[in-house]
Amino acid sequence: MSKLIFHIDANSAYLSWEATYRLQMGEQLDLRLVPSVIGGDEQSRHGIVLTKSIPAKKFNIQTGETLYNARMKCPNIVIVPPRYWLYMKCSSAMHQIFKEYTPQIQRFSVDESFLDFSNMEHLYPDYMKLAKTIKERIKTELGFTVNIGISNNKLLAKVASDFKKPDRIHTLFPHEIKQKMWPLPVEDLFMVGRSTAPKLHNLNINTIGDLANYDLKILNHKFKSHGGIIYNYANGIDNSEVRKSNYIEIKGIGNSTTIPFDACDSDTAHKVLLSLCETVSMRLRDSRNCCTVISINIRGSDMISYSRQKKLTVATDSTRKMYEVACYLFDNVWKGNPIRHLGIHITDFCSNDFYQCCLLDAFNYEKDKSINVVVDAIRLKYGSSSIIRSCFLHSGLSAMCGGIGEEDYPLMSSIL
Amino acid sequence: MKVLALPIEMVSYTDNKGVIRPVRFRMQIGDDPMQVIKIDKVIVKETQKLAGNIMLVYKCQSLIDDVMKLFEIKYEIATCKWILFKI
Repeated sequence: MSKLIFHIDANSAYLSWEATYRLQMGEQLDLRLVPSVIGGDEQSRHGIVLTKSIPAKKFNIQTGETLYNARMKCPNIVIVPPRYWLYMKCSSAMHQIFKEYTPQIQRFSVDESFLDFSNMEHLYPDYMKLAKTIKERIKTELGFTVNIGISNNKLLAKVASDFKKPDRIHTLFPHEIKQKMWPLPVEDLFMVGRSTAPKLHNLNINTIGDLANYDLKILNHKFKSHGGIIYNYANGIDNSEVRKSNYIEIKGIGNSTTIPFDACDSDTAHKVLLSLCETVSMRLRDSRNCCTVISINIRGSDMISYSRQKKLTVATDSTRKMYEVACYLFDNVWKGNPIRHLGIHITDFCSNDFYQCCLLDAFNYEKDKSINVVVDAIRLKYGSSSIIRSCFLHSGLSAMCGGIGEEDYPLMSSIL
Repeated sequence: MKVLALPIEMVSYTDNKGVIRPVRFRMQIGDDPMQVIKIDKVIVKETQKLAGNIMLVYKCQSLIDDVMKLFEIKYEIATCKWILFKI
């Protein structure tokens, strides 16, 4: 019984989806053929590059850098605002095609999925042919190209789909690791990011092969459990299942937002915190948990961030209680500098079946719970903007901020 | 044929199976006067799913100013908008 996993990844997803949509609407220019990027709104200070076209890559434009920088590198670059509803549509259409081939699909993020074809040799004798069929169908029916990585586990499939773009099929079976994966720079490995990579370079680990042949004891000492994970990944070892949903037992929930202007008074900052609390607490109640630790994160206009957290005596899922604590933390830690970015993160969950009261806490949890239940129900039925707190009227702030603004938008996680 | 992608006003006929047939449409190119065009014949009907956006594509022919012309109109299901795509 052999496992066979496909990893299918849309090539420069946001951009090619936008380009396809525009072509369908009658635009003559194909965005994929000129230097172009999908960028956030500069007015509200979300002006970073989200996706770049392949011609834009030649100008050394990086995902995540500011649009200002991108324009410096390539003055006649085309910048297009994002359209998240379109991405959801494309992603769902792609998913619909996958569903015709296998029931075991994990939608890893909006533009990539894992497909499990294990033990289906009789149905699909030739996996190369199958991959070609899927790739060509997406190209002709949906109008964009994908990369397909084929292997025995999710990790190798994911690495394989990243090899050469666009519109390619690559295999990376365990016997190919040595020649295909080990010569790659260590940054290309899943879970090796901008903080791990420099540390690995310090240990003279520059390629994935270096990491795979390194002494595990040193890695464990240096990176703790993460060392073991990346060592296994470098050797192509990964046993995770193709999960039908991305749901994993959550350990924390957080939302943050970049404010469209610099907040200079605590009143505005409190409002932003409240709107973050609304989002976070609704997600918390949806997961049927209560939290006992609340932390806030403040980033000033100087880009320096600091944070504080507090442990509660009574576990809670109440918006108001969370807001109270967030304000308490904020008032204690804020240095008075202009604020660019605020975030709230909650951890240490317990089930919300019952809670332990505290004699010294005068907050009426029962009364607050009933109002939260009603508000959540209204928002679920009529949309998150159907009922808002009056303090957000004419404030220029959204009543529930954080996240992308599109419901059920899948984002990639660090867990395969 | 040239791509025009012009929004148009349409009279269409939907039968009891949900099949939509365009009948006649009205359009204005630039400052020219409004023009009503009767669709004489639908040659091909296709469903396009580009970018996950479903559009019905009709390749039609009509007599416009005594010239037999071929053109393509599209109907976007999500917004119920008709466009004269190519003429």
